Formats: sequence, C-alpha cells, structure tokens
Amino acid sequence: MKPQATKPLLTVVAGLTLLGTAGCGSDGAADNAAGTPASSPASSPASAAAGTGAEGPGNYADGEYTGTGSYIPPSNQKEEVTVKMTLSGGTVTAVEVTPSGNNPTSKRYQAEFTDGIQEQVVGKPLDSLDVGKVAGSSLTSQGFNKALEMIKGEAAG
Amino acid sequence: MESFSFEAIGTQWHITTEVPVDTAVRSEVAALVEQYDAALSRFRPDSAVTTLGHSGGTAILPGYAAPLLDLFDSLERLTQGRLNPLVGGSLEQLGYGPGYPLRPLGPPAAAPGWTSTVSWQRQEAVETVALTLNQPATVDVGAAGKGQLVDLVWELLTARGYAAVVVDAGSDMRHSGPESLRVALEHPYDPGAAIGVLDLQDGALCASAANRRSWGEGLHHVLDASTGRPVDAVAATWVLAADAMTADGLATALFITDPALLAAEFSFEYVRMFSDGRAQFSNAMAGVLFS
Repeated sequence: MKPQATKPLLTVVAGLTLLGTAGCGSDGAADNAAGTPASSPASSPASAAAGTGAEGPGNYADGEYTGTGSYIPPSNQKEEVTVKMTLSGGTVTAVEVTPSGNNPTSKRYQAEFTDGIQEQVVGKPLDSLDVGKVAGSSLTSQGFNKALEMIKGEAAG
Repeated sequence: MESFSFEAIGTQWHITTEVPVDTAVRSEVAALVEQYDAALSRFRPDSAVTTLGHSGGTAILPGYAAPLLDLFDSLERLTQGRLNPLVGGSLEQLGYGPGYPLRPLGPPAAAPGWTSTVSWQRQEAVETVALTLNQPATVDVGAAGKGQLVDLVWELLTARGYAAVVVDAGSDMRHSGPESLRVALEHPYDPGAAIGVLDLQDGALCASAANRRSWGEGLHHVLDASTGRPVDAVAATWVLAADAMTADGLATALFITDPALLAAEFSFEYVRMFSDGRAQFSNAMAGVLFS
C-alpha cells in the first residue's frame, strides 16, 4: 500500500498555480481573479506542515506519494494536475506532475512543469550493468587526444 | 548478430546487422562516409565547407545537406541564435580547430549571424544544395552532422536489405529490429559509471557531453554562439528521437536552451544533467535514471 500524504502535495500544487499565473501574466492575460488557486483553503495549513517537515526529516515514510489538485487559470476553465513524489530519507528525490491540459494555453504552461527533476544523479559502475551499449562521448578523436597530450606535456615541462 | 567496425570522422563506428554485410556494401558505407567528410568537415583543409569558408561565395553540397540545413535553420531560430553552425569561427578562436592548436587565439568571439550571412537552396534536378556565404565564415555542422551520417549509413544498409541494423558512432546511435537494445547513459564525470539505463528500439539515441573534449580551464567544444563562450551549466544531455540527426541536434540544443522551447516543434524525449549533479528529464524518461 502506498502511503498517502495529501497536504504536502497540495502545497506543491499551490506552488504550481503561482508559477502558472506568473507565466500567464507575462503573456498579458492575467487578471485579479486568476491568482486565487481553487485549493487555497487547504494550501495554507499545508504550507505550514511542509515547512515543519523540511526542518526535521522522518516525518514522512519513504515511498511514492500521489495526489491530485486543481486550480483555475485565467481562462476560468478548471485544470487538474496529478503530482507523484518519491520520498527517500526525508528528501524528495523525484517529482512527476501529470496535467490534464484542458485548454491549449494551460497545456503549454503545464508542459513546462511536467518534466522530472532528480536532485542528484547516482552513478553505478558500468561493469555491474547488463547493457549492450554505452551512450556517452568517451570516444574522442585521436587527433584531439594527441594534441591534448602534447600541450599537457609542454605545460609540465 | 554480425558486426564490423571502423574509424571515421574522429570516432569509432560499430555496425551490427542480422547477417554479415558483404564487401561491396561495406565499400559503399566507406564511400558514403568519405563523401560526407569531404563535403562537410571543417577539420579537412580540402572539404567543400572549408574552401567556402576562406572566401565566402557558393559551395555545391550533396542533397542530404538540405535536411541538415533545415534543422539548423529551426534550431538557430528556436535558440535565438545561441545554436548557430557559424560557431566554427568562435571555436577556432578558443583553439578548437584543424590540427587542434588547443590554444586560444584571443577572447571569445560571437559567431556571425546565421540568417544574415547564409542562404541555401535545394537544386532538385541534380540532387544537390547550393550553400552561399556572403562573407568568409567557418561552418561547423558538428551539432547534428554526426547524427545525420549515422542515419545515412543506417538508411544505406536498410536499403540494401539488411535487417536489425544498429549503427553506433559512440555518442550517436540508431537502432531497428525486433529486439530492443539496452543502453547505459555514461556518467559525464566518470567514464566507468552510468547514471541510468534505457531501452532503445526503432529510433535514435544521441548523447552530448561537454567535459570530454576539454583543453583548458572552462574550455570545451559546446559554445553559446551568441557569445562565443563555452556553456557551463549543463554537463551532459541524451535525446531519444525518430532519427539520429534530430536527436543529435536537440542534444546540443539542450545545452543552451530549455526543453519546452524545443518541444514546441520537435518530438523527443530527453535527460539532461547539470554540472551541479542535478538531472532533468521528460516524462517518458522517468525510471531511466538510477536513484
């Protein structure tokens, strides 16, 4: 069973709403009503809870948390987003936001927030992996490598 | 599975097919690579773009230059000139040119404007492209050229009837066949490690990393053409797309622009790792990175 934590998720959603509004504002489309997130009554206590959580890890068990929130963009057409977070050792290691994208403008703004972020990549030794290929740029041209050796040699001498 | 390897355009190529590629077709592959290099390599003193760059004027290039230049037109526009093939001159200024002097000639120099300097035209009847420069300039197709050559080699082998063709040119690969290929994403700071693994099937994966070709403090080959300075916030990028030319170009573009900007016109998935160790990835790449 997945642990549920609705309140911190609403905080994330409220944050998205603000970002979304700022984005629309730069388009000249924002009005006063637009800044009010649909989930605002729930978001204030959630912010407080999240603040406490950030100070002392361990308030939430490791695992995946999923929640859904909604907001009303300037188009007045209600938008829903689903947020999935992965918590590990008290820190968020992954956030995935899935928008409903009811109208094209929201879809475009939401797309900018649906990309995942990992705070720190984790390296694993290549010889521990069962892979057919490695995608990187380890192979550089011989000419470049020779020239580099030469200037390093000159620098050392 | 059968495979053969060769070295060309500064990298090692590995080609895998279901049945062995016969000698005649291998010669065709070699001829194609040679033709591409002779037309488009700025590292060859006798190439068409090198000659064109000395004095400006018009060069006649093979027909496949059209989709390549078309891609560059789009990327230049979407990045507002930060990706621009005329960055070749800026690279030479920093010491990254023919013969690899690897010593800066002076302070960073912005590339000449792409649209104000370059024009090109398809010549349908003769399957060529006329590329015109109205002033001397160094054209560097490196941002997507290797990817395109991967595509051309893959298309040649497929057209000759070979199945399950994988063309791997180090940082750019194209796959087709019933079995997916498991690929590790090499850690940009540790060649013995990977930061994730993905399955590649019927498409292309291209990687770009800045630090591997570094020849001095803060000096590497991925530049912002509008300033002529190396980009330092992004350490490495990986892009999945239908073809390797597009994947290669987008992998470079992700060093200097936001994925959302590119997503407006291109269909692709990506991972990009920043020099502080953070990574950003598109939805379909969730689960690819180790955690």
